[in-house]
Amino acid sequence: MKKLIMGNHAVSFGVMLSRVDVIAAYPITPQTQVVELLSEMCADKKINTRFLKVESEHSAMASCIGASTAGARTFTATSSQGLLLMHELLHWAAGARLPIVMANVNRALGPAWNIWTEETDSLAQRDTGWIQMYCESNQEILDTVFQAYKIAEKTLLPLMLAYDGFYLSHTLEPVDIPDQKTVDSFLPGYEPQIKVDVDNPNAFGSIAYPEHYMEMRYLIKKAMDGVRDVAVKVNDEFRDIFKRGYGIIEKYKTEDARVLLITTGTAASTTRIVIDNLRKRGNKIGMIRIKMFRPFPSQEIRDAVRGYDKIAVIDRNMSFGVGGIFAQEIRAALSGYSNMPVVFEFIAGLGGRDITPNTIEEITKYTLNHERGEEGGIWAGLKI
Amino acid sequence: MIDSRPVSYKKVSDMPEMPAAFNSISWNKTGTWRYIKPRYQDKLAPCREGCPAGEDIEKYIELIKEERYVEAYMLIMEENPFPSVCGRVCYHPCEDNCNRRNFDREVSINSLERLVADFARTTKKGEAFLAKERQANVRNKMKRKVAIVGSGPAGLTCAFHLARIGYNVTVYEALSEIGGILAVGIPDYRLPKDILKWEINQILSLGVEVKTNLKIGKDIEFEKIRRGHDCVFLATGAHKNRKLGIPGDDLPGVYSGLDFLRRVNTGQRVELGEFVAVIGGGNTAIDVARSALRLKKKVKILYRRTKNEMPANEEEISEAEREGAILEFLAAPVRVIEENGRIIGMECVRMRLGNVDSGGRRTPVPVKESNFIIEADNIITATGEETDFSYLPEDIRINEGAVEIDMVGATSINGVFAGGDIIDQPRTVVHAIGSGKRGAIAIDCFIKGKNPLAFMEDIELGSKGSVSMRCYTDGAGDNEKNRTIVGFENINLDYFEVSERGRMPYVSVKNRLKGFKEVKLGLSREIALRDAERCFSCGSCTCCDNCYIFCPDISVLRKEGEEGYIFDYDHCKGCGICAEECPRYVISMEEEER
Repeated sequence: MKKLIMGNHAVSFGVMLSRVDVIAAYPITPQTQVVELLSEMCADKKINTRFLKVESEHSAMASCIGASTAGARTFTATSSQGLLLMHELLHWAAGARLPIVMANVNRALGPAWNIWTEETDSLAQRDTGWIQMYCESNQEILDTVFQAYKIAEKTLLPLMLAYDGFYLSHTLEPVDIPDQKTVDSFLPGYEPQIKVDVDNPNAFGSIAYPEHYMEMRYLIKKAMDGVRDVAVKVNDEFRDIFKRGYGIIEKYKTEDARVLLITTGTAASTTRIVIDNLRKRGNKIGMIRIKMFRPFPSQEIRDAVRGYDKIAVIDRNMSFGVGGIFAQEIRAALSGYSNMPVVFEFIAGLGGRDITPNTIEEITKYTLNHERGEEGGIWAGLKI
Repeated sequence: MIDSRPVSYKKVSDMPEMPAAFNSISWNKTGTWRYIKPRYQDKLAPCREGCPAGEDIEKYIELIKEERYVEAYMLIMEENPFPSVCGRVCYHPCEDNCNRRNFDREVSINSLERLVADFARTTKKGEAFLAKERQANVRNKMKRKVAIVGSGPAGLTCAFHLARIGYNVTVYEALSEIGGILAVGIPDYRLPKDILKWEINQILSLGVEVKTNLKIGKDIEFEKIRRGHDCVFLATGAHKNRKLGIPGDDLPGVYSGLDFLRRVNTGQRVELGEFVAVIGGGNTAIDVARSALRLKKKVKILYRRTKNEMPANEEEISEAEREGAILEFLAAPVRVIEENGRIIGMECVRMRLGNVDSGGRRTPVPVKESNFIIEADNIITATGEETDFSYLPEDIRINEGAVEIDMVGATSINGVFAGGDIIDQPRTVVHAIGSGKRGAIAIDCFIKGKNPLAFMEDIELGSKGSVSMRCYTDGAGDNEKNRTIVGFENINLDYFEVSERGRMPYVSVKNRLKGFKEVKLGLSREIALRDAERCFSCGSCTCCDNCYIFCPDISVLRKEGEEGYIFDYDHCKGCGICAEECPRYVISMEEEER
């Protein structure tokens, strides 16, 4: 059934159809409608889910950890400052190998107070051991929820799906919402390896001495390494049933391109249009959209950019002292490999400033006309 | 059975993906990391320390909260047999010590005590309690005999506690009334006679014998009393009037305050003119003034110092003013003015406050040539009472107008003890009650050949001088609870909200001046319950579960089969959260001894 819904509600329907057992969340703009609709569904008994009202995001994640440890399929959603407040527990959830799924609506961080989109909030959580996926459309958001549970539960790693505040969260798009039976055929129930069980008691969160701790961390690394294959397989299964799917990276008109633009989120949609327009004028430009940020698809990116002269990375985020975060990750992925392109770094659209077709055209022009970029990135559209 | 050995894996492949231990981690005794540890120990509420009668105040308020009034009454009676009296006339130092005073206003402890006593009396349920005591008393009855001289609050308290232990107690009273100052000194509007009688009968019902109209030294020799009993307790009070020492102080129409009150209290007629001048600033002066107002007289109270120095109860002073008494401060009498043998006035001198004296008050000094005259038909003096030692043997040691006693109340004569206003202590009903209890303990020790000093540490309630009879009779042994006082800084105020103190309803001034009906009506049950809920329950566990809920190490455990908590010291890391979150300082942190 196709419905015109906002990105936030796409998450809600995804969670509803994923038969989540426990939701614990605290409202924050622009995430609020996600849990608002879910709380209504719970109140109206449309879903058999326990909704925990908590007093902070820290408690929200703590509750999810408790519920997940007890074997429940668990969901939360947040944004910006709320995600930062969860930070301690994000590490815990990953260390405990709990397949919690969270939606993070990307929003800039204060001060200055700003509720509009930027990816720094979720990218700042890159070392927590969470899988991260960035979506481009409301349909993709819905579909990613189903995939998220499957990937997380197969790898025993928590998964954060992220999307742009307002551009997706509050924007209506037609979304094909599958029926429960179809979703059930794709997503089985969660069977935890170990859970809190009074008949079979285990100790959770206990101490591990230096002789064991490192090995336990290694197990997480191994699980994270395995995510790419699982994600590809899950997407294939998804495509079989739903007749659509998404790569962990996506290429757009790259074959004959002279320059590749690399970006994520809704900036990718704008970039597609810019590429089409530029191609009409004879500029052969292509794009790579990165969907999965953790684990970082280094191999996939190397394969995609090998042999090109230049790539331009558009980051809607900032790691002060280095530059755009995607650009740094890409540089690291290419380092030491031969036949790799020059990397141009651009910072654009911070705090919800529009990344317009004009912005992207200027970025493209600069890349075409220069031998190399600037270390730390060029701030596109800066009014200084 | 859970295996409690540490988990050990040989290879990574043996490990579960999720970091869980398949057996207990109780082997990991995290308690060894601790350097301070929590201690679950009830502590002493400051109200109880401040109560000279040593009532277990926070406990009975706890019982009131659960509307267990009879049990509350029993609990009070274990320490103080005069809850109806104290609930009315006590100057309630408990409330001055209440921690809530620093938060909003003190709990209405005094009114709550009255509520409990009134419940016991009006429902007759208080009598049942004593009936049980009486039976025990008959069973434990001993042959040993104790004489109590004086039936005031000190004497009757001593008699009550001794009778409960099982002694044969005889009280000797010079007057025909039993109750001492309570019966003949405190006016009806503060302490109705029928209520006092009920309370005294409660005490006497334990088998205490009273011989009235028997004045030692006049009707019977002291030595005879002493020989006829194992112990004697002196509680004859202070009722000898102090003369003004000014010209005309022996004129008819000059009365002593206590004498005036006794006559009013016993229904005798007192001849009074229209204007009555009362001299003094203590509670007796106020009692006299308010009684005279009820006899439809115009009353002026003369006091040498200012209102700030008045020893009388603040509330009593303001009520006297509301009832129409005029207070003349910094005024001292110089002579009584007469005309044809009839008083027509009094010459006074204006005073000013000089240097601070040894008692901490500023000494009044006359201002030269400031004499003035006030109109008066009667002069009633209430400038303090003196003790009468004339009935006692000459070798008894007296010091500055008081019988000398040691720490437990023993006089210089073997087997003779003393309490109340005859000894050197504040002259209040509640101090008299406290000394009566202390005397009873000392007498029991004396007769049984025990050293009372050895017990003192176990029965003392803090350091303000009150003791617990319950600790004494129960042989509480270690009296740790009562050594640490809960201070305001120990209360976790996050758990309390500011709330209004219960307000005592009063009879209107117009109506109360019609006679001697009780002025304070007592708190309604509803208001009393609300006020009981305001109590912080300082130092007393109410099983609120805070410690149990907050402990991050599951090391606070509920006791099995009884109320309260214990710590799992094997795993308690000494973080102190339980102590912080305990609203009432039952849990405190102490250094770990290793």
